[in-house]
Amino acid sequence: MLLRWSTCGFGLLGLRGLLAAEESRNPLAPKQPHLQARAKRAIFIFMHGGPSHLDIYDPKPRLERDHGKPLPFERPLTFAEEQVGGLLKSPFQFKRHGESGIPLSELFPKLARHVDDMCIIRSMVGDSVAHGGALMQLHTGTNTFTRPSWGSWVVYGLGTENQNLPGFITLKPTLFHGGSKNYSAGFLPAAYEGTAIGYAALGPDDLKEPIQYLERKGLSPELQRFELDMLQKMNRRSAEQANFDPQLEGRIQAFELAARMQTEAPEAFDIAKESEITRKLYGLDQEETRDLGWQCLVARRLSERGVRFVQVSHTYRVGNPVGWDAHSRLVPNHVGRAKQVDQPISALLTDMKARGLLDDTLVICSGEFGRTPVAQSGDGRDHNPYGYTSWMAGAGVKHGFIYGATDEFGYHAVEDRMHIHDLHATVLHILGLDHKKLTYFHGGRDFRLTDVAGNVAEKLLA
Amino acid sequence: MRRERKLGTPGTAVLLAGLVLGPSAGLLAGSEPEEFFETKIRPLFAAQCQSCHDAKQKLGGLDLTRREGLDREGSGGPVIVPGDAGTSELIRAVRYESKIKMPPTGKLSATEIADLTEWVRMGAPWPGLRTARRTDTAGGAFTEEEKSWWSFQPVLRQDPPAVRSADWVSTPIDNFILARLENENFEPAPAADKLTLLRRVTYDLTGLPPTEREIKDYLADDSAEAYETVVERLLDSSRYGERWGRHWLDVARYADSTGVDEDHKYPFAWKYRDYVVDAFNDDIPFDRFLQEQIAGDLFPAEEAGTVNARGIIATGFLALGPKLIAEQDKKKMLYDMIDEQIEVVGKAVLGLTLQCARCHDHKFDPIRQRDYYSMASIFRSTRQVEDWRAHVSELYFMPLVPEAESVQYFSHQKKIKLRDQQIKNIVEEQSAAYVMRVLPGVRKYLIAAREVKDAPPAPVPATAASAETAAEPDRDEALIRVASKHELDAVRLRKWIEYLKPTDEVRPHLNRLLEAGATELPAVAEHYRAEFEKTASKRYADLAAWRVEFDKALAKGEEPPERPRFFGGENRFFTETTTSNGPLGVSREQRKKVFSRDAFERLTQLEADLRELKRTLPPKPPMANAVAEEDPFQQRIFVGGNVHVTGAAVPKAFPAVLTHGKQPEITGISGRMELARWLSSPENPLTVRVIANRIWQWHFGEGLVRTPNNFGRLGAPPTHPELLDYLSSEFVNSGWSFKAMHRLIVFSNAYRMSTETASQARETDPDNRLWSHFNRRRMDVEEIRDSLLAIEGTIDFGMGGTLQSGEGQGMTTTNQLPHFDASKSYRRTLYLPLRRANIPKLLTLFDFADAATSTGARSSTNVAPQALFMMNSEFVSRVTEGFARRVLAERRTPDEQRVRQAWLMTLAKEPTAAEIEEAIDYISAFRKQSLDKDLTEVTSKRMEGPHRSPDYPAYHYNASTLAAWQSYCRVLLASNDFIYIQ
Repeated sequence: MLLRWSTCGFGLLGLRGLLAAEESRNPLAPKQPHLQARAKRAIFIFMHGGPSHLDIYDPKPRLERDHGKPLPFERPLTFAEEQVGGLLKSPFQFKRHGESGIPLSELFPKLARHVDDMCIIRSMVGDSVAHGGALMQLHTGTNTFTRPSWGSWVVYGLGTENQNLPGFITLKPTLFHGGSKNYSAGFLPAAYEGTAIGYAALGPDDLKEPIQYLERKGLSPELQRFELDMLQKMNRRSAEQANFDPQLEGRIQAFELAARMQTEAPEAFDIAKESEITRKLYGLDQEETRDLGWQCLVARRLSERGVRFVQVSHTYRVGNPVGWDAHSRLVPNHVGRAKQVDQPISALLTDMKARGLLDDTLVICSGEFGRTPVAQSGDGRDHNPYGYTSWMAGAGVKHGFIYGATDEFGYHAVEDRMHIHDLHATVLHILGLDHKKLTYFHGGRDFRLTDVAGNVAEKLLA
Repeated sequence: MRRERKLGTPGTAVLLAGLVLGPSAGLLAGSEPEEFFETKIRPLFAAQCQSCHDAKQKLGGLDLTRREGLDREGSGGPVIVPGDAGTSELIRAVRYESKIKMPPTGKLSATEIADLTEWVRMGAPWPGLRTARRTDTAGGAFTEEEKSWWSFQPVLRQDPPAVRSADWVSTPIDNFILARLENENFEPAPAADKLTLLRRVTYDLTGLPPTEREIKDYLADDSAEAYETVVERLLDSSRYGERWGRHWLDVARYADSTGVDEDHKYPFAWKYRDYVVDAFNDDIPFDRFLQEQIAGDLFPAEEAGTVNARGIIATGFLALGPKLIAEQDKKKMLYDMIDEQIEVVGKAVLGLTLQCARCHDHKFDPIRQRDYYSMASIFRSTRQVEDWRAHVSELYFMPLVPEAESVQYFSHQKKIKLRDQQIKNIVEEQSAAYVMRVLPGVRKYLIAAREVKDAPPAPVPATAASAETAAEPDRDEALIRVASKHELDAVRLRKWIEYLKPTDEVRPHLNRLLEAGATELPAVAEHYRAEFEKTASKRYADLAAWRVEFDKALAKGEEPPERPRFFGGENRFFTETTTSNGPLGVSREQRKKVFSRDAFERLTQLEADLRELKRTLPPKPPMANAVAEEDPFQQRIFVGGNVHVTGAAVPKAFPAVLTHGKQPEITGISGRMELARWLSSPENPLTVRVIANRIWQWHFGEGLVRTPNNFGRLGAPPTHPELLDYLSSEFVNSGWSFKAMHRLIVFSNAYRMSTETASQARETDPDNRLWSHFNRRRMDVEEIRDSLLAIEGTIDFGMGGTLQSGEGQGMTTTNQLPHFDASKSYRRTLYLPLRRANIPKLLTLFDFADAATSTGARSSTNVAPQALFMMNSEFVSRVTEGFARRVLAERRTPDEQRVRQAWLMTLAKEPTAAEIEEAIDYISAFRKQSLDKDLTEVTSKRMEGPHRSPDYPAYHYNASTLAAWQSYCRVLLASNDFIYIQ
């Protein structure tokens, strides 16, 4: 044993050193997945505030029947304990759609045309009744600590396809309920941090320079290159003197990548290149749909260019002060929100499908929780993490498929329960990563996105 | 307690006999079935069943928190037959075989059902509290292997080993390093040249570049003490505490907000930061520094009649962690806070991951779950937040003046609150009386309102002028007509009509009223009135009774009882119509008319009183985010870490493996004082080793133990254990003085080696575990930003205070960018506000310590966004312009001299003749190229910011010269030679 160590020990060390050097040169280089990947990349559409599954995806005749009656079982912890009353039927009509006959409510007439491409998960479960914890659990797996975002885990596991763009991009993220912690790399190296494009309050027109520091005003590209050449000359000379210390090499590469990003990235965000028809399709001509339409269109452009993980956020902003958080006045709230998202999201599916992108891209849509079947303040619904709906579309999942179910009131998930950990395990699986093998050693132990939990929902895999 | 009481009830006797004397007899000794129950069944009941079947809810008479609760109250009888799973109702229910299917929320997994079946088959063992401890803490005794772990052993005073090249030795550190190098046949790297060393030690001790003057002075000083002079100057500078204090702030996971979900502000966190900076500048002995941070509030004040403000502020170490104060499982929230404190104490002070033992015994280190909860007991008896049970808990602020002083402020504030309530009470009482007076007429108003509503719309007015107000006047006509017909007040009727108008709200409670046909309308209106009266009389009576109690308490100077709460959704018709602008409400203007004269006078008097009270409010006492003693608390182990499943009680204690059977006695309320003393004792081998290792690491870039926060089995062993012990004992001997350690280290030759890496080291020791050369290191973000400001000439060396505005615990719930604009500040980087949810972009870009948890070592990445920042950010553009202007300032200076100056300012290095020539060629080529371009944009932009100068045109250089020099300055600042410390 000792002998073997002394003969190959340093050789091994040398090899590890080389790998480490490569890693430090480009932590985002594409990596071999653990498994056969069903999808190459993902787009995550986040609905902030907690859309009501009972009024969109999960019709409950029982609520119709027992409207106004008390909940017949012990109500689990809710957020606004004192204001919660009897059962509230959905004020919206449901209709079956497509060949699959999947019901959706009248809130989403456009999305309804896509049910045959969707895999609707009616049995989502999370652990937090408050927004902050719920957002963080959805994005990072835990509602308690600061941990890497799932986008960071994905890019850590897979690298990214386009070296001229970041691997994990989050468009106009929310600044609260965890804020940047929802896309931070946590303890993973900073290279895996989500690159935020603006933040929620900014409009598409405020994002002329989507990626920070992409452009130097007042200096021609030629002069910039001239300057960069001078810098790299100095850097190479000192790297030579330092016997090619990998850190110094890495920094030289970082400047070259930055220069390539400067040419490539603005083009990726330039929606002026899209046809009038496409822009209309996403609703960029309408005030209501412009914000999410811009995000969805940019998301498609980024996916098309090989960005591994893109997040789109429909979150609190002007014209949408509380997101989907309908503690009261469910009808105007959800009607208003649905108008903002129905067209952009269905446009994204239409467009991605037409371009063949749905064949290798997974689309995920979820809120941080759903809403209670019991009324709050008479005409609203409280937070419900015990059973709600998310959906996926595109590569890796069954289409026109309903997975799991809630109880007859829509309170608890009862069939094929899909805890957020399970959702994470499943998404990683679809992208070719084994959630149990995707680990990072930190602070004395290996960490996973799914902590010690998570099961892949095999039944919904295509 | 409950257990004993219930034991004797007759209904449970049979079942108990079966359990205790049947197959499960003898289980109390702590055998396998017991463990089976504790690991599989009890957690399952807790997670799946107890939300309905606990001692409080007892749905179906079943209580699954206790063995005897298996026998249902009432006629149900026992739900299990010990030993016979097939006929046990519980098993049939979970298998969904019987009519009752449990849990109703979804069938348990097959494994869970199998476990339950197995448990019943075993005879349903249910160990009592007395033995439940067994699984909480698997191991009482520690194995020899566990006890002999290196870092738990006493620190041994080490004699420096002998070396062959004795003349290389400058301080004893060198003996340890060289002996090992000689042993492995390595040569130490040659000494760093004079300027490299100056730059290294200046950044190391102050985080700033040496100034031109400092460089010149040092080069001019060829005495033997030149280096010592520099080191002493640096150690005396206040910049030292800012640099080294920031190291500790990483470990203490310092930030200015709670982070996690709502990111509430810690308004006084900065006082803790300033305390840390001062402690380093004053070289406070580390043992005292540590004691203050754990229990500073418990140390007496230095002056009589004051409080120990400094000590209170120091406890910010415990108080300033991430806190999830909006979490609704309040007990979990509280224990997450406690867990966070155990974690930070463990990692920062002991180098142990104590928090791993929250759910089970530590998997790798000899830390038992029992140890964890013994520590938790200490922090559970410590005040964490003002009221942990509140919906969104309030942060705790401790006054920094004696109680006699702060009490004035708080009692005055309380008076304001009470006066305010008295005012509300009169308004409520009088409004209620008014409502009851007009209540009989409500039926008539409702009918009339419907009549107006149903009146046929008036014909379209002919003129354009009246068209704008078309709808209203005509309704008015109907309104007046109907009002006079029924002899009603038109103003009040209008309010009713307004109320009944459709809104975008769903108001199912009004449907009957709005849809009633003409014939049934009177009856329906009467129904609404009657329902209203029912609610009103009940509530008004409750409130009146409460007001009596309130006034009584007020008269006696006692705490008034809480106001009764009503659920607004119960009778929305009542709630909505009685708001101050509702049809039955009393607006502020109406008060005089509607209230009794006496009441109105009292109200006016109280309102004047309140204004006066607010005017005379004494100034708010200075406060700190701190911890304090709480009521003593008997902590129990939480089975599986689940705060809702309690196990055995534990005493307050420190991890057993570290106390060697000599557990210090804890007599204080929380035990923090004892904890502070135990942690800071020279006898505690971990504390001193951990800090000695950190000091080494902060000088050398890597620790002797490369996992500074983990000295346990998953940590790295020390590269030089004897050296670590030598440093540790020296540290204690020096009186725990940081500055003594700095001298010991920076005067060593190990520290003064160059970064030159021999090929032998590169190939066989790539991680430099032998310390054969000095580690090249990238500047951290504070060094980068502070250097840029220093080179720009704009840095503001003002110390302390906060750049955060506002006082309360304001949270972030909007999507407007809340954080401070770092680019507009010239203060040193450690003073920038740190909102955990929105750490300034620049900081995270360059690997700032994540304030989520104690950071032992930051990472050091090289990624494209950092390069973009250096190339394109407005901040760097501004800085390079200021830098270029400094270099260009003197008209007569030759360009070679300017290049030389720029090099000294940034790289602390003399350029060679070839490098000067290259620079001058670059600048003139750039200028030539840029002359062809339109530079107007550059020049106009330049008129903003700190370099704006009214005499701009009078400068001896033009825009393209400035642009060319600015570009060269940028090249220097973006270069590896700048950002790496050699």
